[in-house]
Amino acid sequence: MMPLSLRFAGRELRGGVRGFRIFLACLALGVAAIAAAGSTAEAFRRGLASQASEILGGDLALSVRQRVFNPAERAALEAEGRVSYSVASMAMAEAPSGERRLIELRGVSDSYPLAGKVTLQGGGALQTAIAPNGGVAGAVVEQPLLDRLHLKVGDQFLAGNLPLVVRGVLMEEPDRLSRGFALGPRVIANIGAVEKGGFLAPGLPFGETARVALRPGAPLQAAKTQLHTALGGIVRIRDREDAAPGIHRLIDQLEYFLGFIGLASLVAGGLGVFGAVSAYLEARKPVIATLKALGAEGQLVRDIYLIQIGFLAALGVVIGLAVGAAAPLLLGALVKNNLPVPALFAVYPGPLLKAAGFGLLSAAAFSLAPLGRARSTPPASLFRSDLSGTLTLGPEIVGAILAAAGLAAMAVATAPTKLAALIMIAGVAASFGLLWLLGWGAAWVAGKARAGARGPLRIGLANLAGPHSAARTASPAIGLGVALLGAVVLIQSALLNQVAEVAPRTAPALVFTDIPGDRAAEFDAAVGRAFGQPLTQKNYLREPFVTGRITKVRGQPVAAEQIARQDRWAYDSDISMSAIGPKPEDPGILEGRWWPANYAGPPLIAMDVDVAKGKAVKVGDAVTLSVLGRDIDTRVAVLRKVDFGGFGASFPLVVTPSAVEGANLRQVAIAKASKAQEAAVIHELGRAFPTVNVISVREQLEAATSLFDRLALAVRGAAGVAALAGLLVLAGAIAARARARTREAATLKVLGASRAQILAAYVLEYGAVGVIAGTAGVALGYAAAWPVVVKVFHAKWSMDWAGVAALLAAAALVAGVGGLLAAFQALSKRPAPALRAE
Amino acid sequence: MTETGSDPLTLENVSLTLPSAAGPVEILRGLDVRVGKGERVALVGPSGSGKSSLIAVAAGLERPTGGRVLLFGQDLAGVDEDGRARLRRGRVSLVFQSFHLLPNMTAEENVAAPLEIARTPGATETAKAWLDRVGLSARGRHYPHQLSGGEQQRVALARALACRPALLFADEPTGNLDAANAGHVADLMFDLVAETGAALVLVTHDETLAARADRAVRLRDGRVAENA
Repeated sequence: MMPLSLRFAGRELRGGVRGFRIFLACLALGVAAIAAAGSTAEAFRRGLASQASEILGGDLALSVRQRVFNPAERAALEAEGRVSYSVASMAMAEAPSGERRLIELRGVSDSYPLAGKVTLQGGGALQTAIAPNGGVAGAVVEQPLLDRLHLKVGDQFLAGNLPLVVRGVLMEEPDRLSRGFALGPRVIANIGAVEKGGFLAPGLPFGETARVALRPGAPLQAAKTQLHTALGGIVRIRDREDAAPGIHRLIDQLEYFLGFIGLASLVAGGLGVFGAVSAYLEARKPVIATLKALGAEGQLVRDIYLIQIGFLAALGVVIGLAVGAAAPLLLGALVKNNLPVPALFAVYPGPLLKAAGFGLLSAAAFSLAPLGRARSTPPASLFRSDLSGTLTLGPEIVGAILAAAGLAAMAVATAPTKLAALIMIAGVAASFGLLWLLGWGAAWVAGKARAGARGPLRIGLANLAGPHSAARTASPAIGLGVALLGAVVLIQSALLNQVAEVAPRTAPALVFTDIPGDRAAEFDAAVGRAFGQPLTQKNYLREPFVTGRITKVRGQPVAAEQIARQDRWAYDSDISMSAIGPKPEDPGILEGRWWPANYAGPPLIAMDVDVAKGKAVKVGDAVTLSVLGRDIDTRVAVLRKVDFGGFGASFPLVVTPSAVEGANLRQVAIAKASKAQEAAVIHELGRAFPTVNVISVREQLEAATSLFDRLALAVRGAAGVAALAGLLVLAGAIAARARARTREAATLKVLGASRAQILAAYVLEYGAVGVIAGTAGVALGYAAAWPVVVKVFHAKWSMDWAGVAALLAAAALVAGVGGLLAAFQALSKRPAPALRAE
Repeated sequence: MTETGSDPLTLENVSLTLPSAAGPVEILRGLDVRVGKGERVALVGPSGSGKSSLIAVAAGLERPTGGRVLLFGQDLAGVDEDGRARLRRGRVSLVFQSFHLLPNMTAEENVAAPLEIARTPGATETAKAWLDRVGLSARGRHYPHQLSGGEQQRVALARALACRPALLFADEPTGNLDAANAGHVADLMFDLVAETGAALVLVTHDETLAARADRAVRLRDGRVAENA
């Protein structure tokens, strides 16, 4: 037989869910946001996994830098299956008109691509397009290069000194995602042509990648291990299961961040859940008391309502899951062809289960405490309507605390970075607590202030101070929404300001690479001519450049896999370095002393602290570098903080010139330049230095701004969800008091108050809630944004006053409009029936 | 503890003081009331004299500030709220002026509710039989809002008596009804009480109704002014 509590709960639910619309909306909103973020991320993960071989261009990809694979290595590679080779280098493309542009030049072997296919505009095969024809090698290029150099298919251009003919427009390459960010439009030619063009000379910054398609059935890991042993540790090996690690990380982080905002909206909406359950139980007080008068024990009554709330929570979660699962499907159908990353949109149970878990835990955390009131509601409230159940430490409060702890634990457990998640959750909890205290404080102040007020202001203040004050219910929820939105707006504006305003002032406008060391003075002269002004340390800096790898620290060989993942970059591949005698301007020395300008003793090194962190390198430690095929034993003289975005010697490693004595190192230079000087120098160098690459930082910053804008749009949209949760709580607070407001308005009318006075009182009350919530939210948003901008992104803080003012105004306006609606609703009822209902 | 035998209700020097914004308010002041088996006692007095509060205290819905309340000889002082609910089950019933039917339950379910809470077998059949007794057998599947005031109070009466209590508290049971319905409900209540042998504590303003009780206890300012 059905348990009594279940039977009674079922009967109680016949009354419908009318009073639970806000409850359902608050839960559904948060769950939908988390489910949508998770489902979208999963769609991308599955999409990437389904095309792993195409993304990598094979089952395994092995890369070397500044050299090509030697015959022994090639033999080992080809023993595992079919192999394609590609080389990549930067180059300057030059049109017959003299217009020049940095490109990413790839040379591919005849077997390329092993997996997936290269798509050219209008069709056609890659290998046919890039085959030599009429003595000139063919190339396929991306459209932006044609646009920039005013070229068309069939035209000839130079890549460095290499003549190429445009034979097609490159639309898609199968392995583009696995190669990451490019500094210029991509150009693909035959590997032989690229070699002939001189791009593969020793010391030049090129790399070669071999992609292996294993024989059918060959085990991936065994082949990987075999090649690792055969080719040695300095070859970077990736497999199809880790085809695009950067993209995977980005998806993980974005999913967590968007999901976190969903979680925050669940917390903000939690007040709506709390309010709805409290209001419902308040309305059911006569029923609860009657049940008790009929002999029902507190536990039975609590269970009756627990079952109802549980059912409604499940309903809210199901609605949220349905929306969260459907939204990515719809979005996917709309934008499928414009996605930069392959995606398989479908209904995935994993992310939905996670969202359901968050939703149910949040519902428990916010509804169990008021349910304690159902247990403790005294039956005497049948005779005295002012009596209510009191919140005492009981199983419900303990359950609520456990659910809240479970919510936090689940949020941390599912985060890609546990510490960051812990900080974010602690931040939300602390903010919520602060906002709640502020709401109580505001109600207290309103209570004190009302003595000195008159008319509508007094009514508004009295309501703010009253037992059902929206300052205590709606303002923490709105505040949390505003805080999240504020943090996102402030971070975004500060970073955009950094990219669009600060960086162009402080960073170089141009970076020149591959300057021949023996023609450095001639190069300086060419730049000076193009600039039309003398070069100084303030606008031009040229230093030797080489790449190398740290192979030993304190005499011990470096085992990169034992270094923390976030610090491994400095030890598992070549990093850039220079050889400088005199102390540069603003070297950022944290420890140690720079060597004398004419130092000629044993090699010393200045190391960036972020590099040092991975192996806890200290001043005085021995560090061995592998540079240009030979080992250099150095000793750390300086630890410094390099400002990579600034105008200076921005090398993670700097050695004393004596360490690389005799080597004819290529040089790099940075310069500050106007747009006109930029165009002039690119043109000027085309004649005398066609192989020197010119990177326009301005262009890169513009590209970054545009990318950042698109990402920020998604994040801002998600933060808007949290703000919406705040509005739902406000709507809930207004709805819960609608009946009482009607009676109050009727009484005020009887007492002679005009409609305008009643309207003013309510707008003042809710407007104040908006201002309190908005101000506190912006302050908390500032507190969250500042460390992210300054400590995480190392950017200069700037305050977006317009954004802050807009947020504040929006919070006050929306809350004030809420008050207006509450007033109109209350005033729409005739006073006589409202008073009779009393 | 059992010096009064098995009298359904004994109040000894009961007082009740409630807090209010303007300070504590004395509602009941040293009341002594005894209700014997099957006895019908009317509590009369002006508004604010403490009649309803007396019922709340006597039925164990409210704790007195002082004195002793004994239900069937058991002192309620050491019994917690759940214990008092268990004590009421099947033995003590209440009828209210504003009916207090459970709004989302049908008339039949309302009558069955206390039987179900007491885990009494055959609750639905008993409820049907009692609805028949109060002349509402055709209204069993109706919800309270679909019934008239008189019908609602008859359902409440059936609900109160379905478990054959030994003690029935009725707080102004006809206060919200017109004269015709009031008379009908009062007749039904006295008839059914007589039939079940339950003791009745009836709060009323209506002297005619009070006169139908075996005796009347008159309250004034929280004190017994007359017990005859």
